[in-house]
Amino acid sequence: MNDKPVTLYRHMKDLPSTHLLGSGTAMCSGCGGLEALHEIYDIIGEKSLYVNAAGCMTLLSVYPFTPFRGSWLYTAMASAAAGAQGVRDALDILLEKKQMKADEDMQVVVLSGDGSAYGMGLSATSSAMERNLDFIYICYDNEGYGNTGQQYSGATPHAARTSTSKGSSGFRGFKKDLFSIWAAHKPTYVATVIGSEPVDLARKIEKAMQLKGPRLILALSPCPTGWDYDPQDSVEIGKLAVKTGIWPLKEYVDGKVRHTKLPKQRLSVDEYLKRQGRFNHLYQPDRNDKLINEIQIDVDDYWSEVVE
Amino acid sequence: MNRVLLTGNGAAAWGARLAQAEYIPAFPITPQTEIIETLAQWIDQDKMTARLVTLESEHSMITAAAAAAVTGVRVFSATSSQGLLYAMEMIYTVSGWRAPFVLVNVSRGLASPITLEPDHNDVLAARDSGCLQIHCSTCQEVLDNTLIAYRLAEDPRVRLPVIVNLDGFYLSFTREPVLLPEIESVKNFIGEYNPENMRFRAHEPMSHAVAVLGGAPYSYFRYQTHLAVENGLAVYDELAKEFEQQFGREYGVIENYFADDADYVFVMMDSFATKAKDAVDKLRATGWAIGLLRPRLIRPFPAERFRTLLSGKKAVAVIDQNISMGMGGVLHSELCTALYGQPQTPEIVASFIGGLGGRDITVEEFFEIAKSIRHADEINQTPSPRLLYTETELREIRKLQSLANVKLHGFGETS
Amino acid sequence: MYRIRFHGRGGQGMKTASRILGTAFFLEGYEVQDAPRYGAERRGAPIFAYVRAAKQTIHERGVIQQPDLVIIADESLASVSSAGTLIGIDKHCVLLIVSNESPESWKHRLNLDCTVLTLAYEQLDIHQISYAGIVCTGAAARLTGIISNETLQRAIKQELAAFDESVVANNLHQALDAYKKMAEHEACVQKSQEISADNYQAPEWITLPFDDANISAPAIHASANSVQIKTGLWRSFRPVIDYQHCKHCWWICSTYCPDGAINVDDSGQPQIDYDHCKGCMVCVAQCPSHAISIIPEQQAEVAAPEVTAIPGDKR
Repeated sequence: MNDKPVTLYRHMKDLPSTHLLGSGTAMCSGCGGLEALHEIYDIIGEKSLYVNAAGCMTLLSVYPFTPFRGSWLYTAMASAAAGAQGVRDALDILLEKKQMKADEDMQVVVLSGDGSAYGMGLSATSSAMERNLDFIYICYDNEGYGNTGQQYSGATPHAARTSTSKGSSGFRGFKKDLFSIWAAHKPTYVATVIGSEPVDLARKIEKAMQLKGPRLILALSPCPTGWDYDPQDSVEIGKLAVKTGIWPLKEYVDGKVRHTKLPKQRLSVDEYLKRQGRFNHLYQPDRNDKLINEIQIDVDDYWSEVVE
Repeated sequence: MNRVLLTGNGAAAWGARLAQAEYIPAFPITPQTEIIETLAQWIDQDKMTARLVTLESEHSMITAAAAAAVTGVRVFSATSSQGLLYAMEMIYTVSGWRAPFVLVNVSRGLASPITLEPDHNDVLAARDSGCLQIHCSTCQEVLDNTLIAYRLAEDPRVRLPVIVNLDGFYLSFTREPVLLPEIESVKNFIGEYNPENMRFRAHEPMSHAVAVLGGAPYSYFRYQTHLAVENGLAVYDELAKEFEQQFGREYGVIENYFADDADYVFVMMDSFATKAKDAVDKLRATGWAIGLLRPRLIRPFPAERFRTLLSGKKAVAVIDQNISMGMGGVLHSELCTALYGQPQTPEIVASFIGGLGGRDITVEEFFEIAKSIRHADEINQTPSPRLLYTETELREIRKLQSLANVKLHGFGETS
Repeated sequence: MYRIRFHGRGGQGMKTASRILGTAFFLEGYEVQDAPRYGAERRGAPIFAYVRAAKQTIHERGVIQQPDLVIIADESLASVSSAGTLIGIDKHCVLLIVSNESPESWKHRLNLDCTVLTLAYEQLDIHQISYAGIVCTGAAARLTGIISNETLQRAIKQELAAFDESVVANNLHQALDAYKKMAEHEACVQKSQEISADNYQAPEWITLPFDDANISAPAIHASANSVQIKTGLWRSFRPVIDYQHCKHCWWICSTYCPDGAINVDDSGQPQIDYDHCKGCMVCVAQCPSHAISIIPEQQAEVAAPEVTAIPGDKR
């Protein structure tokens, strides 16, 4: 970590204080995904074209209003990455043929929830990486099919209650490791971020913007509606996800994974879980030590292998 | 102009090449694959300037096609059968983007059971999508109508995807003489694609294909797409006239083969319709007043034209190479809808379903169809819909079933 | 209209044969339609291709049911009903078989009353079977009486433009040789009588009865009944085990045979199931003691007309 890159973003005060993404959208109040998106949008800027997969953020643009200062194309749940392919290829063709000025070019960005990114859209995304598509893929990961009422998805964590896992043990499966799935394709850049760590986020977007090729920004997106907590706690829960080690902030670049924020003294997962209604059944009527332990051991195991 | 032997697939590829398609998202599927292979080879040999990208599915292929079209380049793509159905979500979606591009569909029957040979249930599944459909019966038509399709798709009164349909095997792998127009004259006919303000540029932000809340705005956008599809009829007329002036080949919205003075009329689409022409020739040789009407455009459906052309006819036989399970032939239903309650409308509009999965329709069957509608007219009673199937064919399937160890007890004839 | 059908095996150049003939007709000023017919393309499996040629626009489509000329490039297919070689052959039709046997013996064997011709050939090497088609084209061109020697050459050069000169030269040689050999039968192919709407055989239409789903679903209630399909018909050459040299290793040829067509009998002898061996020759390539050799099918049929023990069928 000697060769620290030059960055514009060292402190909170370095971040923009006015924001590019328009307000007035239909996202839930306290939406952690929107928080991450507006932070990202500030750095990527308005010379951008967002290709949107079906999910909560389908409703960012509802006729006749759009929050985007740049452009946006709504596709479908399975094929946003293919939409990015079509747009990128068309822009390249126009540039090659000099039918478009270079300054009319845009950063092509996919915007997708976890339902699409971890599931239905994965095939199109994997293929875009095969083709080394020059694009940024933003996944706002609220760990369930949020837009339809938080059914479990491939991103749902172990033991979480969702509307399709309401039993006493919650979701029996485990969260899929999308970071590693992406990294296995050897793309240009993969990073986890969270809106509650905006400096870390800004640096990563800054770095991603300096690169070309497939780049993933995987943003854990605390979701008051789906995770069942008071909207005012969104940032706090995001910070706890990092402090408990549940959401490691890291990046993959040049074949190496590097953690960008090491929780010095990791808090117990309790601190994160007990703040959210979706984990209530782990504490009431009685504390479910077995499940809570499983979650803690999982986190401990992860960090025991992290050498920095 | 050079007259050469080309397959239907070759003709489609030439259409894309002459139209100077700039972007070709692709995915292989029999019997279409030869089209994208041909284009890929031309691009490799620098005979064509375009970017061909193989996506991982037809769903992605159509997404990329339309995304590129709305960014402002000329797009060609091709598929068939299961591929078209796999893409169906996007086929319906991208018409709403008002994305003009040309998609060639090489018709092939749908699973199950899976097969390779043609019928039209694949392309008719896209009937209500907002894509226009041009159906071809010769390789020449495939080439010429691919060119016309670009004008139609890009016309400001339409601005929609256009599907050009040809039958697998019967056209896709069959060579026929095709006149290849010179590229300069095609350039002259098609011109450059002008997306006007429907494109993505950094300094002209556009949020496209957005959601709506409420039925009224939704209905507005959907009706507008419907009106644009309907405009296709008059625009196709204009383009066909212009095409004829420039290239000398005539394309009507409905091909009329000796139907004007006919009492009896066959109605069918795509390549099997040339078999009906053969039957018309032979029937006429023995004194029949019979003809053929073949709709080239299925969407928009030329209802008014059919009313005029069929006015005063004694009887009509619609031969559908498709089947809407639980209803029957799609073209038959559509034609009846167009004709019902109109003055002078033929009283007999009989339905025949045949040619599914490439089952041949013999000239003798056309004779028999003609006879049965003449008889229906004489007794003034519309016959029940008929599935073209023979005793020999049923005997053959019984043999296959016995090889498959299917217990045949319980069906009428053998118990 | 002329209606011509070519029968052969995948890999014998039937599609090219039909294309060259189609192009030759086209160059002679005819309207043309040519097409290959195959399911999923398989080397060695029976396939066919057809050509229609007429002075006026061709409206007829699809497989030719009433041919004027049928050419069988591979004589082993002549009597195989599943290959469909004889479909629609009537009195007026001409049948040409590439064979060293006499037309009379074929006429007798196939019980036909049409004109049967044969075209003698020299035994082709296993690597030369792709020339079978071109021989047929040359012969067909002469039999129609329409296509001149020069046109045939032009058509071949046009259709084989992608190949190098030696391949083209070899094809020209083969085609022109066949063209010459058919001189005495020039123009023997006659156009058939067109079917009349006054006098035709009506189709026996039926009303399709309803069958329960357990009958009418596309399901096979059997295990491994594919052995009823004699893929041995795909073969024009066969592997033959020389038991003098076979070391009875038991398993090498048997394991590697992709079709499971070699089984070891109780006495430890590998037996090739010729009903199913497709002639890929993997066994020949893998046999450690080089005890398996390749012989042309025709020779084998003379030597060992019938193989009775088929281990594969007993399972």
